Amino acid sequence: MRQAALATGAAVVVGWPWAAPRYFVFLASLIAINAIVAIGLNLLSGYTNQLSFGHAGFLAIGAYAAAILTIRAPALPVPVSLLLAGLVTAAVGLALGIPCLRLEGLYLAMATLAFGFVVVEAILSLDWLTRGNDGLRVPAARLGPWTLATDTARYYLVMTVAALLVVAAVNISRTRTGRALLAVRESEIAAQASGIHLAAYKTLAFVVSAFYTGVAGGLFALVVGFLSPDSFDVFLSVDFVAMIIVGGLGSILGSVVGAAVITTLNDSLAGFQNYRPLIFGAILITSMVFMPGGIASALGKISGARSRPPRQGEDR
Amino acid sequence: MTWAAVVHVVVSGLATGSIYALMAISLVIVYNATRTLNFAQGEMLMVSTFVGWTVLRVLSAPLIVALLVAVAASALLGWLLERLIIRHAISATHFDVLIITLGLSLVLRSAAGIAWTHDEFPFPSFFGNRPVAVGPVRVAPVSLGIIGASLALMLALGALFRWTRLGRAMRAVAQNQRAARLMGISVERVYSASWVIASMVGAVAGVLIAPVIFLSSKMGLVAINGFTAAVLGGFGSMPGAVIGGMLLGVLENLAPLYLPASIKHSVPFLVMITILLVRPGGVLGRVARRKV
Repeated sequence: MRQAALATGAAVVVGWPWAAPRYFVFLASLIAINAIVAIGLNLLSGYTNQLSFGHAGFLAIGAYAAAILTIRAPALPVPVSLLLAGLVTAAVGLALGIPCLRLEGLYLAMATLAFGFVVVEAILSLDWLTRGNDGLRVPAARLGPWTLATDTARYYLVMTVAALLVVAAVNISRTRTGRALLAVRESEIAAQASGIHLAAYKTLAFVVSAFYTGVAGGLFALVVGFLSPDSFDVFLSVDFVAMIIVGGLGSILGSVVGAAVITTLNDSLAGFQNYRPLIFGAILITSMVFMPGGIASALGKISGARSRPPRQGEDR
Repeated sequence: MTWAAVVHVVVSGLATGSIYALMAISLVIVYNATRTLNFAQGEMLMVSTFVGWTVLRVLSAPLIVALLVAVAASALLGWLLERLIIRHAISATHFDVLIITLGLSLVLRSAAGIAWTHDEFPFPSFFGNRPVAVGPVRVAPVSLGIIGASLALMLALGALFRWTRLGRAMRAVAQNQRAARLMGISVERVYSASWVIASMVGAVAGVLIAPVIFLSSKMGLVAINGFTAAVLGGFGSMPGAVIGGMLLGVLENLAPLYLPASIKHSVPFLVMITILLVRPGGVLGRVARRKV
């Protein structure tokens, strides 16, 4: 049953560019990119309870890193530049994650929000590197003898990377590390008492989350082909949070579903820019008030979506 | 840079700082009662200022009427939102309520855009804009007016918290909700009151600042500066909110004089990150130790 579902899913993903119009191939790439970010964010927020409103900043760092690498070193194969984009972003995640260990809850949310704004300002002021407000055009990347010039080629690149990262995330969540992260979410004090190195695991979550988002940023640069600072504003970070809220906190399948729902919704509302935030806000409110576990838990425990964390030890 | 020019910059910094302080106070009032951050505080300010502006335009009413209408509309909005949405999620985690208020802020901003468009509108002020000379220093009356009006409102709030029954109840709930409930305080009523008072303070701040930054659906972003101000002073403390607001306003206006001019927009965020990372308790506050 499970294997049949997986096989059908894989067949649909592989066959999609032949069945769907060109635009929907592009849209599917975007969904996969957002799914990578949502998984990364979920590893941080859903697994260790550290809410981030700054993932658009990480995405921007990964995107600009990959774009600049592609422009300055055209001979570099795509997997290497994606890996480097992920590593650069992970380094920034480490630099942000260590001081953020002191913060929790809304302080962390606000610090990451501020981080997102600072990244945009930094892109604007480093215009010799990023071309600031003019935007950066990303040339088609090279993979060995091929140039990834068509939507279909880029689609297969995105899907391969996304599949690898999903498998990696599922495996992480099943290992000792994944259980340690979940223990941190359930109760930091109990986790610490069971011998889990709290600071190390929380930082690790930050770094892995940033790496995922950085790789997604690299893919974003290649697929969209044009980067400008205003594509990475705070509302994009809110979109990412909406994906994991709607999909289900602490569920990898939920992250993918959430990314698909929010990206498709965003796209179909593109003609109604005025109403988009209205509908988004309403979705956030209703899913929080009526469906706090997200789609994943509403559909039953399809992928080990766990119940929401309890309130931590406080007198309320 | 003469010292008179520096005084001018500091005074206008104190004026924006008073607005940040009022915003910080709104956030802290709600936080102290319900332990949640209201992400929609800035959008509530924006909506109520738009309501006041509509009264000005449609009825061509005097500004003071617009202020009163804005405050009343804001109180009603705050009461409704708390009663209809937040109260349902009161047993939820802070995380959940944070997301709900985030959703509210999106809805309010978008609704305002639909009702009043996303353009910028000029807003009349109680105070003139032409600088007057005070000795060798030139200051804008609007700066002095904003500072004066904000200080008066802060004193009134201080009196409310210190001497009235409601204020005592609010302070009791902030200290220990369970004990407050055992003493016969209706905690739910304190929730309502906090939202209503915070919204009213926000409406006054909105009407004061709208002439300076223009009225637009984006003006709710001032709440982020309010949050920075509250953190700077020590989140949860009222005097801290005032000091933090003033400090932030002055810093924001002084920084472009000594650093690249483009730094101005980043100042609140850089200040917020620095203070959170270096001294999360703020200038006045102490980090609360969590008991196991």
